[in-house]
Amino acid sequence: MYGWTGNVLRVNLTDGTFRKEPLRVKDAEAFIGARGLASKYWIDDVKDLSVDPLSPRNNLLFATGPLTGTLATSGGRYEVVCKAPLTGALAASNSGGYFGPELKYAGYDLIIFEGKAPKPVYLYIYNDSVEIRDASALWGKTTHETTDALLAETDPDAKVACIGPAGEKGVLFAAVINDKHRAAGRSGVGAVMGSKNLKAVAVRGTKGLKVADPAAFLKVVGEARKKLAANPVTSAGLPAYGTNVLVNILNQAGGLPTRNFQTGHFEEADAISGETLASTLLVTKKGCAGCTSACGRVSKTTGQFAGSGEGPEYETAWSFGADCGISDLSAVTKANFLCNELGIDTITMGSTIACAMELFEKGILTEEETGMDLSFGNAAAMVEMVKKTGLREGFGDKLALGSWRLASSYGHAELSMTAKKQEMPAYDPRALQGMGLEYATSNRGGCHVRGYLTSPEILGLPQKLDPDSIEEKPAWLKAFQDLTASFDSSGICLFTTFAIGAEELAAQMAAATGVPYTAEQIMKAGERIWNLERLFNLAVGFTSADDTIPSRLMKEPIPTGPAKGKISRLPEMLPRYYEVRGWDESGVPTDAKLAELGLARL
Amino acid sequence: MIRVLFFATIRNLTRENQATVPSAATVRDLIEALSERYGKAFRDEAFEGNEVSGRLIVMVNGRSIAHTGGGSTPLSDGDTVAIFPLVGGG
Repeated sequence: MYGWTGNVLRVNLTDGTFRKEPLRVKDAEAFIGARGLASKYWIDDVKDLSVDPLSPRNNLLFATGPLTGTLATSGGRYEVVCKAPLTGALAASNSGGYFGPELKYAGYDLIIFEGKAPKPVYLYIYNDSVEIRDASALWGKTTHETTDALLAETDPDAKVACIGPAGEKGVLFAAVINDKHRAAGRSGVGAVMGSKNLKAVAVRGTKGLKVADPAAFLKVVGEARKKLAANPVTSAGLPAYGTNVLVNILNQAGGLPTRNFQTGHFEEADAISGETLASTLLVTKKGCAGCTSACGRVSKTTGQFAGSGEGPEYETAWSFGADCGISDLSAVTKANFLCNELGIDTITMGSTIACAMELFEKGILTEEETGMDLSFGNAAAMVEMVKKTGLREGFGDKLALGSWRLASSYGHAELSMTAKKQEMPAYDPRALQGMGLEYATSNRGGCHVRGYLTSPEILGLPQKLDPDSIEEKPAWLKAFQDLTASFDSSGICLFTTFAIGAEELAAQMAAATGVPYTAEQIMKAGERIWNLERLFNLAVGFTSADDTIPSRLMKEPIPTGPAKGKISRLPEMLPRYYEVRGWDESGVPTDAKLAELGLARL
Repeated sequence: MIRVLFFATIRNLTRENQATVPSAATVRDLIEALSERYGKAFRDEAFEGNEVSGRLIVMVNGRSIAHTGGGSTPLSDGDTVAIFPLVGGG
């Protein structure tokens, strides 16, 4: 095969066996790779969709796409797919760095982990050589310690994806961390890895990749790269300031959720912005494999919150900053470093602390329970809570369940800023109507990278949509969701969509794989993937009642800032969204839609 | 008095994070006054011909001028205008 390697590595951790299988070619063509194809494999292999996410019967897949590791535009991505402990939906957590390409160079599109190892293990792959090795000595180590130890033990050029203490201890939003600083962050994929006693995957690949038509591939990649170079976002903004350039613009629009979404404007936003990061803590920028934007931030903190590492991204600067009422960028950055080392999703972590802070300020949580003053703005307490959560010590044991379970345990689920039990990120749905619909309908729960309407609503790309309007949002969201599903599944970075679209993806896919993809087929594949995820959700018991956001956002007008007085008009948009999706009024795909997509009900 | 805030790469052109302008009838007039103050590099970034450049995101009191009349958006005493280059992230 071309683009795809054509090989799947299936590992049974229970009995310590593994085998190489040929990739299911028809499924690969229809579901592309990574997010889409791994979801299809999970559903077909596991069959019992009701499986407990932390049981041995939940498969865990490391999945690349056909463009991962090629010269395609920013083709450094892979996904970790399993049933998610945080939400009960399918988790598909995307990460960059260098691990995904290395897995391709070793000759694999997917690794499928089944079962549970009787004791801690790690998988070492060197091309065709595969070993399940003892990881007892690594258990309890941070992701950085683990990575260093494995590079010393295997090959200094290997790439490592692993969990930290949080994944071992079942923190429901534990991440898988690769290359020390890149996270397959959301939904708790790290907890699933920990439940399998799988500490790490170390991979070294030297086989290279083949594309179907090298000359055509280089031509279309070159054309797409020119568009990335000409676009001010991908060529200037992201390299200079990273994703955190968004803090000020969202704040100026009144859509920067502050103090657990109590308002949409943070008075001290500039202190945690990308501009401030660039002039203070930033050491240098860093790119993932094959990337021309290099939005990664290498940073260093000193003083009370001394440390070094990478970050913060925008979502992290927001979650530990504005959402916790904290303007100390060193504290925010230190919390980010700790999350990478302990293996924790920064969005859910920050939002869960913010939820605890509101519970504390409302007198629902006491200092006796939390062990410290959890008032908004207490930077030292925020950093300490990250540590305690990663190690499940003290009050951190409760935070480890995420904000929905935390707030529910005190009878105040309404104070959890989640959709489908997953924390929403850094855009207030009252100031950006489209993002409310996006959070509500995201198949994996609260998430910004499943249909990023912030791009047209605030950034004006690819065209300017009024953030207050609702009429055109359902149709735009469907298109963004479908396009994103295809980009995620291809193995190239979603951020390229600021400059390129379905045409450029189709051209790169066709030249790489030899399958004559058109833009229309790319959009259709994305729609197929979206509907497959939806069918999974419906089969495990989600209904249209779960397509919602916290009542606060639909009932409490933003009290301060530029978006003062606004609420989310989600209920007006949702029926129209179902309609443009070809779903019935209950949000169930119609027979005609499934026939069109070649899908069967689950 | 109109308060103007600058962000990201725009700060490289203005060498300051904010400024005030005594008065301006429209956003176009404001950008013209700022171009006088900051010179050619700012003007080249801020204008496409006689129109406010599409490479800028300009907000008046939090509303993008894309939805309020572009450069013709009227300004009043006490308004806050935020000027960004095209940026993205996530």
